[in-house]
Amino acid sequence: MPVIELEGVSKEFDGAVHALQGVSFSVPTGSVCGLLGPNGAGKTTVVKILSTLLRPTSGTATVAGYDIIRNPAQVRASIAMTGQFSALDWQLTGRENLVLFGRLRGMRRKDAQLRADALIGQFDMAHAADRRAQTYSGGMQRRINIAAALVVPPQVLFLDEPTTGLDPRSRRDVWDLVSSLSAQGVTVLLTTQYLEEADLLSDSVVVINEGRVIASGTAEELKRRVGFSYCAVSPVNPADLPQIFSAVSDLDDAQADYEANFVSVLASDGVATFAEVFRRVDRLGIELADISLRKPSLDEAFLHLTGSVNN
Amino acid sequence: MVIGTLRDDLPFAVVATVGNFIAFNFALRNVIDTGNITYPQYILPVVLVQVTFLGVLTAVDRAARDRQSDFGIQLRTLPISAAVPLMARMLYCIIRGVVVLLTTFATGYVFGFRMIGGPLCALAFCAITLLLTLAVSLGADAAGSRLGDSPIGKGGTASQVLLVPQMLLVILSTGMAPVESFPDWLHTFVEYQPVSQVTETLRGLASGHVMVGNLATTLAWCFGMLGLFGVAALRMQRRTT
Repeated sequence: MPVIELEGVSKEFDGAVHALQGVSFSVPTGSVCGLLGPNGAGKTTVVKILSTLLRPTSGTATVAGYDIIRNPAQVRASIAMTGQFSALDWQLTGRENLVLFGRLRGMRRKDAQLRADALIGQFDMAHAADRRAQTYSGGMQRRINIAAALVVPPQVLFLDEPTTGLDPRSRRDVWDLVSSLSAQGVTVLLTTQYLEEADLLSDSVVVINEGRVIASGTAEELKRRVGFSYCAVSPVNPADLPQIFSAVSDLDDAQADYEANFVSVLASDGVATFAEVFRRVDRLGIELADISLRKPSLDEAFLHLTGSVNN
Repeated sequence: MVIGTLRDDLPFAVVATVGNFIAFNFALRNVIDTGNITYPQYILPVVLVQVTFLGVLTAVDRAARDRQSDFGIQLRTLPISAAVPLMARMLYCIIRGVVVLLTTFATGYVFGFRMIGGPLCALAFCAITLLLTLAVSLGADAAGSRLGDSPIGKGGTASQVLLVPQMLLVILSTGMAPVESFPDWLHTFVEYQPVSQVTETLRGLASGHVMVGNLATTLAWCFGMLGLFGVAALRMQRRTT
C-alpha cells in the first residue's frame, strides 16, 4: 500500500497557469522518492498539494491513507514539511523555535525541551542554538528547519529542494540525514534540480517538467535510459551524415544532429555497441573526423529526458 | 512574533490615542453643542472607538502577513486547529486594546474626563470596549486572511480596504454630535448603527446611568459582530485555494 499516491492531479492558477497537468505517481512506504525537475516544473506545487496547502483543480491524492481533500487534518498529523524558505520565528532562538514546534505538535513543555536538546546535539548546532534565528546563516536555517520537521518523527517527510543554496559540506550533511531517516522507516519525498542528488538518495525517481511526469522509475532504470555512454560518429564531410545515420538507425536511440554534425547511438552494450557502429560505418568507406564512446554529462542526460534547451 | 509586533506597533497605539483625543477636543470643541456635559466627557467614547478602529486596521495587515509569511504557511501544515494562529493574533489585539484603553483614560483625565459612574460602571466600560475591540478585530482578521492570497494582500495595503467604512461609521454617528445635527433621512441609520450605540452606552457608564434599551442594543451589536466575524475569521484562516 503506497504511502503517497497521486492520481491525475492537475492544478491551475487563475484559469491560465497550468502548474500541474495530470500528475500521477506513487511512493511505497519507507522509501525515498526524488521528484526531479528544473525550475518551474511544478515540484513545489506537488509538495504544497500533498501538505494540504493547496487544493488540486482535479485529481486525487492520498497521504498515509488519508485523502488530502476530505481528511486534511489527518494528513497534517502524519506529515512534516520543509519548504524552500525558512519557516522560523525570527525573534526566537533556534532552541526556542524547536520547542515551539514541539509544543505545537502536542508535546509537553518538558518533553519538547528535552527533544530540542537531543536534536541540537544530533544536528551539531550547540554553538548557535541560543542565538536568535535572525542571525543564522543559510545552512544553519536549513538545519533548524529540518530539525523542526523532525521534532515529532513523522510518517512522511516532504523536503522541498533541501540542499539548494547550501555549501558542499551542508549538502553532504543533509544527504546523510535523509539516508538515516529512510533507514528508520520514514518515507521521504524530496524535490531537487540535481540529478546527482536524486540518484544518490532516491529509491525511485519521478522526473517532472512543465507540470507533467515525463519519466519515472528507479534511478538505475533512468540512468540506463539516458545515463549510459553513447557512441558518437562525425564524418569529415557533413553531407555524409544521412548515410551514416541510415546505417545505424536500427540501433538503440540513434539520433542525428545535423547542426553539430554527428550521429549518436546509445551504447547499451558499452564497447560492443561501439565496435558494431565502427564496423558498419567502416563498411561505408566514409572518411570520419571522429568516432568516440562518451559518457553524457548529467545536464545532457537530463536534457535528453526533458527535451528542453538549456544554457 | 508578538514581541516584535509589540515593539513596532504599540508606540503608535499610544501616540495615536493621545493625538486623536487632542485633535477631537480642540478641533470640534465649540463647533458642536453637547448640552450639559463637558466636551471631553462627551467625546471620550468616540475617540476611544476611533482609535480602536484605527488599531483594528493594522489587524488586517497582520492577518494578511500570516497568510503569506513562510512561518504562517508552515503553521498551516501542522496538526493544529485553525483557531490557534487566530487566537494568537486576537490576543495581541486585546493587549493593544488594553493599552489604548489605559492611554485614553490617562489622556481624558488630563483633559477633565471623570468616571463618575463608579468602579462597577468602569469595569463595564472596559469590558464593552474590549468586547468591541475583539469583535471588530475578528472582522479585520477575516478580511486580511481573505485578501492575503491576492495581490492586494501581497502589497501590504490590505488595511486600506476597511478604512473608508470605518471612517464613515465614526463620522455618521452620535459619537461626535447629537442625532439632530444630521439630515432627517440619515436619522435612523445614525441612531442605531453600532458606533452610536456603543458610544452612547460608554457615555452613560461614565456618567453613572445607562438606558436599558441602549445597553441591550449595544450588547446585541457587540455579540452579534463577535459571532459573525468570529465564524468568518475562522473560515478564512482555514481556507485552502
